[in-house]
Amino acid sequence: MDDVRILRGRGAVGGKAEGPAMASENAIQGWSGVDERSGMIIEKGHPFEGMSMNGAVLVLSGGKGSNGWSCHFHAAMILGITPAAMLFPKMDARTASAAAILGIPVVTDFEEDIFSLVESGDWIQVDGDAGIVRITKRDRPGKH
Amino acid sequence: MEHKVFLTDEENDMLLGKAGTMKQKAMEVIVRYADVLGAKKLCKITKAHLFCGAHPFMLSFPSSDPDEVISKMLFCSDEKVALDRYECPYCQSDAAPMDSEKWRSMGVAEPEAKRNEQFLHRFLDSGVHLASSCIPYMLGFVPLMGEHYVSTESHAVVLMNSLWGACGNADGVEIAFSAAACGRIPLWGTHIAENRKGTHIFRVLCNVASTHDWDLLGYTVGRKLPTHSVPVLVGAPRPNIVDLKSFFASLATTAGPEICHIVGITPEAPTLDSAMGGNKPVRDVTVTEEDLEESRRMLSDAGEGSVQYVSVGCPHYSIDQVERAARYLRGKKIAEGVTLQVWTAPQIRYLADRCGYSKVIEDAGGVVLTGSCPMVSEKLPKNAAGLAFDSAKQAHYLRPVDLMQGKKIYYGSMEQCLEAALSGMWKE
Repeated sequence: MDDVRILRGRGAVGGKAEGPAMASENAIQGWSGVDERSGMIIEKGHPFEGMSMNGAVLVLSGGKGSNGWSCHFHAAMILGITPAAMLFPKMDARTASAAAILGIPVVTDFEEDIFSLVESGDWIQVDGDAGIVRITKRDRPGKH
Repeated sequence: MEHKVFLTDEENDMLLGKAGTMKQKAMEVIVRYADVLGAKKLCKITKAHLFCGAHPFMLSFPSSDPDEVISKMLFCSDEKVALDRYECPYCQSDAAPMDSEKWRSMGVAEPEAKRNEQFLHRFLDSGVHLASSCIPYMLGFVPLMGEHYVSTESHAVVLMNSLWGACGNADGVEIAFSAAACGRIPLWGTHIAENRKGTHIFRVLCNVASTHDWDLLGYTVGRKLPTHSVPVLVGAPRPNIVDLKSFFASLATTAGPEICHIVGITPEAPTLDSAMGGNKPVRDVTVTEEDLEESRRMLSDAGEGSVQYVSVGCPHYSIDQVERAARYLRGKKIAEGVTLQVWTAPQIRYLADRCGYSKVIEDAGGVVLTGSCPMVSEKLPKNAAGLAFDSAKQAHYLRPVDLMQGKKIYYGSMEQCLEAALSGMWKE
């Protein structure tokens, strides 16, 4: 049987989407952090360095660096590359700008610590209207 | 459109399109932004500092019509927006993709320069003063205590909030344009006094004696600062505005703060207690000489090596910094095959020309450029094996860039960088 957890929060942007989690408590820089042409994370030393954000559910503590954060996600979206959804324990101006502009489902202000529940590779279903996140753990005993 | 944020009648009229399509599209973006943040209402802004120009990120949208590109990339509208004068009464431009006069020396092709001017004039028509600089606060953009503004420059936000008690968040580029156009921003974050109190204490135990030290200190505090925190700096020697310009720039590189209190210097921090405003510190952190050294090792490649490109002036140099560079270079010649760029604001170059500083730098073989920087312009030297910068911000952001792979990036003080330009060698 799958190991499934349900996490409740505030739906910041509506809609439904799913994908594999890319989860890190390290905030990320948008400028020189996200390569808009390839969708790759290029920030040196970030756990996501060398990974593509395309189709992933990004789980991050927040944004940092240049205020030009959302515009790199925006440019990538114009080029056909975008995360499926985004989850943040708390919004900030950088991440909220991206959320408002991309229009992909975003949930925030969770009842529990999301980083203790989600690891990269877990399958995440996001309901941005209801503010509900369904986490299916990967590679656990009993999972097929 | 459905929304949770409260709107006044005037704001609602804008949302309904009664004030034209530009303000309608802008208000739609601001309302979506407010709902994402969970803001209860909007506030009026009286200043906007905007990332104007034909910037590379905008050109991912395939159109030769500037209005179409601006509508899509800045106002998030599929429909072409009629660009009127922005509602915000004072707007000034942030860094542009190039020097509007000396673009040739940056390796910019003429069609690119023409396109940029075309874009800039669309913003001029909307009421934006084309200051083209990341240091608006040195060029007449001075929001007072409690004044609400937007700025697309991360360090300018931290500086203006911290030094003057002004209220701005690290809003994205598109949000800033929409805010300028409809004259509103969500009342959230540093716009509310409660959110400006200190959360983390940083005790400066290292020697901080120069602008370069302040640059390294900012980078180091940022590395140790958790997301969504308000740092309070204790024990640092008295800085000047040029020190803080560098400090805030590197702080806003490794972290994302919107305000940083400096006890005894910034108005909300006459004492440590008042800076904390009753908050118990989440952490009390020390910054030591070893921490600064660690930052230096992260920023600068080790050892000596040849240098073909030297760029100083991030954030844009103040007039006294340009003069210091000129004084260092007077009567000397930079090494053959080395490009030396000294970056400042257009208004400051006017002054540097008038005072003769630009000529001294040019006689030495350098060039005084304005309005942009290597990172923003993306005009990087393809053939340089070694590059030197006096800014942690440039060194940090350039390191992941494709074109920089296999090249050496050196970071040091202005004097170290100018010496490297003169000798063609980076020395530790």
